[in-house]
Amino acid sequence: MNTPINPKSNRMPVGSVQCDNTTLNLLKANDFVAKAIRERLPDMLVINVCSSPGSGKTSLMQETGRRLRDKINMAVLVGDPETDRDAIRMKEVGINALQIVTGGMCHIEAQMILQALDHIDLTGVDLLFIENVGNLVCPAAFDLGEDIRVTLLAATEGDDKPKKYPRMFLTSELMVISKSDLLPYVPFSVEAVTKDAREVNPTIEVISISSLKGDGMDEWCEWLVTKVNEKKTSQVAI
Amino acid sequence: MHEISIVRNVFQTLEQTYPEKFDRIVKVQVQAGLLSNVQPILIQNAFEALIQEEPSLSDVELEVLLLPIIAHCDACDKDFEVKKHRFICVCGLPSKKIIQGEELQISEVQFSGQ
Repeated sequence: MNTPINPKSNRMPVGSVQCDNTTLNLLKANDFVAKAIRERLPDMLVINVCSSPGSGKTSLMQETGRRLRDKINMAVLVGDPETDRDAIRMKEVGINALQIVTGGMCHIEAQMILQALDHIDLTGVDLLFIENVGNLVCPAAFDLGEDIRVTLLAATEGDDKPKKYPRMFLTSELMVISKSDLLPYVPFSVEAVTKDAREVNPTIEVISISSLKGDGMDEWCEWLVTKVNEKKTSQVAI
Repeated sequence: MHEISIVRNVFQTLEQTYPEKFDRIVKVQVQAGLLSNVQPILIQNAFEALIQEEPSLSDVELEVLLLPIIAHCDACDKDFEVKKHRFICVCGLPSKKIIQGEELQISEVQFSGQ
């Protein structure tokens, strides 16, 4: 056994001990910034899109932008540990996109969003997607000032994920089952995954889509248009 | 999750909250809900690593208390413990009204009495 370099001297309090019971939130810095983002974007729907790497977030953004071009003014902030490839992919199909390079970090924090807002033109934008870093663990803990969190789960990933990554599915309003065109070829049960997801989050909605073949894309786009309108109406009401 | 930054955050928060008494801190208790994805042993290791940088913290004891997930069932008007992430009450009804389990906070600080 190595001796610790700085062994504790066991400075037991002599005499009296003062004890302060408190609740000092350790994510308060992030939550404070998230609140500032909400206040800055009062009439824009902000959706935080989470998933594992490679489950089809960018393809879904591309296809959504193509389908909703005439209905909704959409922009995307896309986070990756390195490279601006995803932003380039989206700009290629005419989507207003900005890359956030997290410098190796496995999630986006609210501060990165706040800084990014100064570098993208959001004039007239109704719907801002934040495409999070591919990871089902850490992004779940960081509020980015979004209105809605959506989690993608690809048919190829297996239907056991909601129970393995409960916090992500617990905090999502919608689970999108992506690559649904592959469902006939993989052991993935939409029924089983829906049951598991609803044991973690009884109110989670489920939509199956294929960005490649177009299945379910109408339902997804309608869902988005409804949510964008709900956000606008709620602002008029205030 | 991000144990090093959490431990740094603990001591930054304490320094801001108790500027006068910070150097008299002997014990800190952190509460981590099971949904915070925090592992106590990794927090302890991260704390040992921080002490290498900040030897003045070597006499501080850090305790991490894991809190189980508790949800509330409206039908029974009772709280129940969520085990294996099944947010379902014994009565069979689902609930996501979380009473406890998402915390990541400093819950107790002890100071030496001079």
